[in-house]
Amino acid sequence: MSHLDSSQRILSGSTRRGFLAASGAAGGVLALAACGGKSGGGAGASDDLVGVGNNGMAGKGRSGDAADQLFIAGFQWSPPTNFNTFAAAPAWPASNNVAQYVYETLLRYDIVSGDLLPGLAAKYEVDGTSSITLTLQDGITWHDGTEFTADDVLYTFELGKIDESLGVASFWVEVDEVTADGSTISIAINKDRKNVGMVLATLAQQFVVPKAVFEKAAKETGNKLASWETKECMGTGPYTLEKADQTQIILARNEKYWGKDFYGGLPAPTKVIHPIFKSNEDGNLKFQNGELDVMQQFIPQISKMWDSGKPVGTYLQEEPYFVPGSMPMFVINTTKDGLKDPEVRRAMAHAVDYASIAETAMSGYSADVLASLIVPGGAEDQWLDKDKAKSDGWSYDPKKAEQILTDAGYAKGSDGIFAKDGVKLGPWKLITPQGWTDWNAALEIVAKSFTAVGISAATNFPQQAQVTTSIQNGDFDLACWSVAGSNPATPWQRFSDVMSNVEMVALGKTAYRNYGRWENDEVNDLLEAAAAAADDDSKKKALTALDDLFRKEVPAFPLMYRPDEFFEFNASNWSNWPTEKNDYAPPMFRGAGNQWIFKIQKIGG
Amino acid sequence: MSAPNAPLTDEKAAPRSNPFRSINLSTRFWVALVLVAFVVVLGMAGWVYPTGPGEKVGSLYDPPGDGLLFGTDNFGHDVVSVLMAGTRTSLIIGLVAGIVATTIGVAVGLVSGFVGGWLEELLMGVTNVVLAIPSIIVLILISISLPQSTIWSLAIVIGITAWPWTARAVRAQASSVATREHIDVARLSGSRLPSILLRDVLPYILSYTVMAFVLQVSGAILAEAALSMLGLGPSGANSLGTQLHWALAFQAVASGAWWAFLPPTIILTLVSFGFLLLQASLDEVFNPRLRRGKRRQMKQSAARRAEDARALAASRSEQDGDDAQDPESEAVPAAGRGIQEGGVA
Repeated sequence: MSHLDSSQRILSGSTRRGFLAASGAAGGVLALAACGGKSGGGAGASDDLVGVGNNGMAGKGRSGDAADQLFIAGFQWSPPTNFNTFAAAPAWPASNNVAQYVYETLLRYDIVSGDLLPGLAAKYEVDGTSSITLTLQDGITWHDGTEFTADDVLYTFELGKIDESLGVASFWVEVDEVTADGSTISIAINKDRKNVGMVLATLAQQFVVPKAVFEKAAKETGNKLASWETKECMGTGPYTLEKADQTQIILARNEKYWGKDFYGGLPAPTKVIHPIFKSNEDGNLKFQNGELDVMQQFIPQISKMWDSGKPVGTYLQEEPYFVPGSMPMFVINTTKDGLKDPEVRRAMAHAVDYASIAETAMSGYSADVLASLIVPGGAEDQWLDKDKAKSDGWSYDPKKAEQILTDAGYAKGSDGIFAKDGVKLGPWKLITPQGWTDWNAALEIVAKSFTAVGISAATNFPQQAQVTTSIQNGDFDLACWSVAGSNPATPWQRFSDVMSNVEMVALGKTAYRNYGRWENDEVNDLLEAAAAAADDDSKKKALTALDDLFRKEVPAFPLMYRPDEFFEFNASNWSNWPTEKNDYAPPMFRGAGNQWIFKIQKIGG
Repeated sequence: MSAPNAPLTDEKAAPRSNPFRSINLSTRFWVALVLVAFVVVLGMAGWVYPTGPGEKVGSLYDPPGDGLLFGTDNFGHDVVSVLMAGTRTSLIIGLVAGIVATTIGVAVGLVSGFVGGWLEELLMGVTNVVLAIPSIIVLILISISLPQSTIWSLAIVIGITAWPWTARAVRAQASSVATREHIDVARLSGSRLPSILLRDVLPYILSYTVMAFVLQVSGAILAEAALSMLGLGPSGANSLGTQLHWALAFQAVASGAWWAFLPPTIILTLVSFGFLLLQASLDEVFNPRLRRGKRRQMKQSAARRAEDARALAASRSEQDGDDAQDPESEAVPAAGRGIQEGGVA
C-alpha cells in the first residue's frame, strides 16, 4: 500500500513529518473495522483503500469522463469576470494565495508541520537575518512553452514598485534588493527591520507571473495593473484555464507540466471543475451527494454526513476535525471610555463562554481557546508556552469577571450594569459582517455572556464593506475580526497585527493593524526583537515575552480557532485523501496543498 | 294620523328578534378566535415555562427527546422556550406596528377624505407615491440605517411603512360619509373639524378601521419575520423571524433539523391565517350583506322579514280602507323616508 512516492519526499528536501509505512496499514485496519458498520448512500466499506471517509467508506466512483474529473468548490461565488491576479477581486484560480493549479509560488507552506517546501524554487537558504538565496528548479516552462527564468521572478516583485497599490508592494517594506545570477536569486533583507519571516511568507504566497504578459499589461494600462482585465491566465502550474462561464470554471491538465518528475507524475484528475454556487447550502448538498469531491465551505455538523453513511472525511478523525490555522479575534477599541481600562478588558476575557462558542457557533470545530496569540496544535505549536497561557491567562469564569471589576472599583448600578466614576460599561455594539454565520453566532454568545456579568452589549451585523471601514477607521466599540492565519510569518505577524504600535493611525484614518488603537511603550521593541531573532530559542523567548504582554494588557482576545481552510472531501470518486493517518500532504488547498492532487486515486473505472 | 308619519315608537312595535342574534358569529369566527388565542397563550406561556430562551440546555441541534419537546436550536437553547419568547416578541411587534400603521393611515385617510380639495390631493399624492415604492425595500433601507435595532424601533419602522393602503381605503369611506346630512347638522351646530372627524365620521368607519387594524397586525408580524430572516431583526431578542434566520444560517434544512425551522414556520402560518380569518369573519359581522350565518338562522330571519312584511301589508290595507276617501294619502312617501323624517323631527 504505497501510495506515497518516496522520491518526492527526498526531492522536497525538507524534514516532513515521518510517514510510516505502518500508517498506510493502519488506515486499512480502520477501514476494516468500519466494515461491519453502516452502509448506504451508494457507498460501501472499502478495505483496500486509504484516505477515504471518516466512517471508512468509499463510493463506487463515477462513470464516463466524470470519473477522471475533480469537482471542487468554495473559492468562487460569483461569475468569473477577471483573471488578472493583481485585480481587486480576481477569479479563482488566479485569486491570491489559493491552490497552485495555474500559478505557482516559489515556496510552499505546510500548515501541519510549519515547513517551507520547495515550489518553483528547488531550495532556499537563509543567511541569518541579512539575506535569502533561492535556487530555481530546472526546466520550468510557461503554459505557452516559453522558458521560465529568474527574470520572471524579478519582474513579479518589481511590479510592487511599478504599481505601489498592488499587494506585492508590501514586499519592498521588508526587502532592500533582489538580484539574480543564472537560476539563483538573492534577496537582501531590510537591514533595519530584519524580518525574515515576513519575506518568507511573501515568497510562499506570491504567485509568480509571466513577465512577457504583464509587461504588456503594464504598458496597456499605464502601470495601473490592478485595473487590467483579462479572461486568460497563463502560469506554470499543472492545469490551464480551459473555460470559465457563469456556472463553472474548468481547468484542463497541462500534459507538459514541468513538475512531472518533481511531483512524481502528472496530477490524477484530467480536469478540475469548480461549479459556482449561489449559497453554501447548494454546495453542501452537492458535496453530501458526492457530486463534489473536495471543498472549502463551512458545513455545520459535518460528522452527521459520515454518520449517515456518506463517504465524507476530514483530516482529523476526532473533533475538531480540522487543523486550526487562524483565530477570529475579539477586537477592543481601547480609545473608548471603559474599554481603556485593561482590568475591564481582562474581565471581558473572563466573561466569555468559549466552550459554548466552540460547541455551537463553531459546530465543534474549535479546541479550547488559550490565552495566547499563538495557534496551538498546528505549525505554530512549537512557539507556544502552554503552561504560561493556562496559569497567567483567562478562561470562562463569570464570577471572576465580576470580581475583577469589583476590585477595580466598579459597582453595579440599579440597571445591573457596572460603572465607575460615571463611566458605564456599555451599552456597546458588537459588530461583524452579516452572513458570517459562525462569527454572528459567536458574538451573540459574547453579548449574552457580557450581559450576564453586568456589561451591557448588543450585536449589530452590517454589511461587510461597512464593517471593514468601521474597524479600520476605529469607528466601533467591539468587533470580531480576522488576524493573520498560519503562514511562515506567524505567530510574529499575528502579534504585529494585534499589538504593533509602529505607525499608529489616528481615529478616523485607515489602519491596517492594531485596529483597537492600543498604545504601549514596550511592544515595538519586543516585536523588533522577535522578528530579528536569529535562532529558535531566542525566537521562542521573544514570542513568549510578547505573549506575556498580551496577557497582561488584553488589547484583544481570541474567541475560537478556525482552520485556515476547511478541507472536506467526499471519497465517492477519489480515494487516498490526506488524513492524519495518511499524512503525505497537509489538509489545505493553498501552499503545500497542491500535493494531494498528484496522489489521489480514482476508485471506479 | 297616518302610518307614514307615525312616531318611531310605533314602528318599533313590530316583532324583532333578540338583538344579539343579529350578530351572526360564524364558525369561522370561532376558529379564528381559537387560533389567535392559542398563539397569544403560547406567547404568554413563556413567562411560566421553566427554561429561559437564553439558557443553554444542550448542544447544536439536539433532536427532540430527553424532556425537550422540539430539541435544541443552533445555540443549544430549548426550541420550545425560544418559540414562546419569539411568539411574544412577534405579537408585540405586530400590535405596536399595527397601532402605528392604523393610526397614521386613519388620520391621513380621514382628513383627506373629509376635508377634500387641495389637501386631499396633497395627502393622497404622498400616499400614492409611498404606495408605489415596495415597502420591503423601504423597510430594509431604514432597518440598515438604524444605529440599533430593538423590537420597538423595528415595530415603529414597520408601522410607518405599512400605513398607505389603510389611508387610501379610509379616505374613500370618509369622503362618502362626508356627504351625509348628519355632518351638515354637526357643522351647523358649530362643531369644529377634529370633533366632527372623531364623533361624526370615525364612528361610521370604525368597523372598517378595526378590520384594517387586524390586517395590519398580521402584515406586521410577517414583515418582521421577513426582515429578521434577512438578519435585520431586533438584536438580542428572539422573534419568530430571528429563529428562522438562525435556522437558515446554520443550515437546519440541510442537516435535517426540522425542529429548528418547522415550529416557527407553523406558528407564523397560524398567526397570519388566524388574523386573516378573524378579519374576514369580522367583516361578516359588520357588513350584513356578507353575513352567512347558520341556515336555520337565515330561514328564521327570512321568515321574520316575511312576517313583518305581511303585518305591515295588513295594517296598510286596513289604513287604506279607512283613508279611501282621502285622496291626499296617495302622495305618501316611502315608509323608510317617513321614518327618517320622523326621527329627525
